[in-house]
Amino acid sequence: MKFSLSHLLGIPWARALLALVLVAIIGCAANADGAFFQWSTHRDMLRQVSVYGILACGMTLVIITGGIDLAVGSVLGLCAVLFARLSLHQGLPALVAVAAVLAAGAAAGLTSGSLVARWRIQPFVATLAMMVFARGLAKWLSGGQKISQAVQQPDGNFTYVDLPAIFGFLDKRILGGQVAVVTLVFLGCVLVSWLVLSKLRYGRYLFATGGNEEAARLSGVPTARAKLLAYGLSGLFAAIAGICQAAQEQQGDPEAGVAYELTAIAIAVIGGNSLMGGRGGIGLTLLGALTIGYLEKILSINAVAESNRLMLTGAIIIAAVLLQRRKTA
Amino acid sequence: MKKHLVSLLLAAATAVAAFAAEPAKKFTIGMSQCNLGEPWRVQMNADVRKAAAAHPELNVVFKDAQNDTLKQRSQIEEFINSGVDLLIVSPKEAAPLTPPIAAAYREGIPVIVLDRKVLGNDFTQFIGADNRKIGRSAGEWMVRRLMALPAVKARGRARVVELKGLMTSTPGQDRHSGFRDALKGQPVDVIFDTDMKWLEPEARKEMESALAVHQDIDLVYAHNDPGAHGAYLAAKAAGKEKDILFVGIDALQQEGQVYVRQGLFAASFEYPTGGAEAIDSALKLLHGETVPKEITLKSRVFTRDNVAAGGEWLP
Repeated sequence: MKFSLSHLLGIPWARALLALVLVAIIGCAANADGAFFQWSTHRDMLRQVSVYGILACGMTLVIITGGIDLAVGSVLGLCAVLFARLSLHQGLPALVAVAAVLAAGAAAGLTSGSLVARWRIQPFVATLAMMVFARGLAKWLSGGQKISQAVQQPDGNFTYVDLPAIFGFLDKRILGGQVAVVTLVFLGCVLVSWLVLSKLRYGRYLFATGGNEEAARLSGVPTARAKLLAYGLSGLFAAIAGICQAAQEQQGDPEAGVAYELTAIAIAVIGGNSLMGGRGGIGLTLLGALTIGYLEKILSINAVAESNRLMLTGAIIIAAVLLQRRKTA
Repeated sequence: MKKHLVSLLLAAATAVAAFAAEPAKKFTIGMSQCNLGEPWRVQMNADVRKAAAAHPELNVVFKDAQNDTLKQRSQIEEFINSGVDLLIVSPKEAAPLTPPIAAAYREGIPVIVLDRKVLGNDFTQFIGADNRKIGRSAGEWMVRRLMALPAVKARGRARVVELKGLMTSTPGQDRHSGFRDALKGQPVDVIFDTDMKWLEPEARKEMESALAVHQDIDLVYAHNDPGAHGAYLAAKAAGKEKDILFVGIDALQQEGQVYVRQGLFAASFEYPTGGAEAIDSALKLLHGETVPKEITLKSRVFTRDNVAAGGEWLP
């Protein structure tokens, strides 16, 4: 029995699952008069965690290369503003607006990536700079105000525009009202990340780059291009998250996504991805997202005060990470 | 490498010159804003800018302290050193910003303090609204509105959700305690109250939790309009938005007033910025007139019935 348990704990996803199960047990204990046992609570949790989860997909790819992307929260804000401007204020067709925003997000990611890969700036510094720059660009594009249905005219008065259908569609629930569209978008991002990591040659390059960059480079792995891919996809996912955020808020808020990069990192780490790079997987990130999502939901349905929430979240993250420690190491 | 460095420096200098303020006019006013991350504060700056634009002799230089007390302190000191004719400060905190404001005042620079007070009397004028009073007026309005609801009449008591700003901030504390003052002795139960950190996505999350735990919610009172809007979106997703009244605070023209106009909110209570009043006082001071030590701004309530007519003044 002891052997099989320690054997099980040698498997990364089993340890990530254990953290999730522990949080779920807390939920069963503090169930807020049965609210935790209703499907709607779980459905809402899945909607809430989706934007963070989408960011965490990109973060996972970057973390596997041994890097970090601090810019995802700001790129989310920039893309939310851009999406609201293009579709809400300028009335571009949804597909054109989405394509333009995805291109902008990918461009931001590729810029970070080339700073890291070609200019050899440390990932922390390069993406910190991008984080500040993208936030500034978001504020400049929006004039510091939320881009909403109220459009200010040159004379200072406001006119009101209708919400484009794409906003309503992304904020809908489908499949009999049981799953939010943004949750499916999140699962789509997980699937794309899984394909990249498991099915493409470049997926192995990401792991090799993060494991031992010098050895990988000497054995012919295009490490620079692998990093470009990881940061580019991270920017692309941040753009997707930005579009989802704008749709759910019915506006583009230049302050959207502040500190979201930290939640994305927490999700990746709590799932068991190594910040040293080279080890991890998108399934772990999915489990991490569920763990963080349930944790927030349980604290919220019990109306726990903000101060206690912060302390509990910190303590539980540490507990979950300690739990994940490889016993054999 | 040196050539690169020179061209980089040149580019940086050009960029700084391009972004720098235009040359001074007759009077230069320094406007120190504590945080332009908040739409309400962006509105305050816009109100100052708009009021000043009507007076070509005024040049207003804006600085944003990005929610950092020490940064605001050094920005006020920068204004003093650059010799502005008048200072408008909307301070982040009272105690740490009292010394630089007092220093400016004692050097003979008139200082108008906006929205949040500083300690002592070393400033020229304070202009602000009273959050506690607005919270109480909002509470009294909500009690009247709730008692008229058929569901509340049938049940005998009203059930309310309170989505608080941050209870570590004075506006959050005052909007909470004023509201609770108004509820004393009334048949109104606050069945769920929690922090939403002034943020719309957080408010939506908390409201989803409230809906999961409680049936029959009559009204949601949020400490700002984004919070009430987040709550509305959560109720809409649950198909309950028609059964619940939503009330917010701030009533910005492009935000709260729009939600009232669209019929999403029952009411939004104005929290005036005082930007226009500050420029009024500034003009008087710069032309040698005196102004009262304190102006308490009046606030309006916007409801579906009066929003088109520009709201109604609260007592």
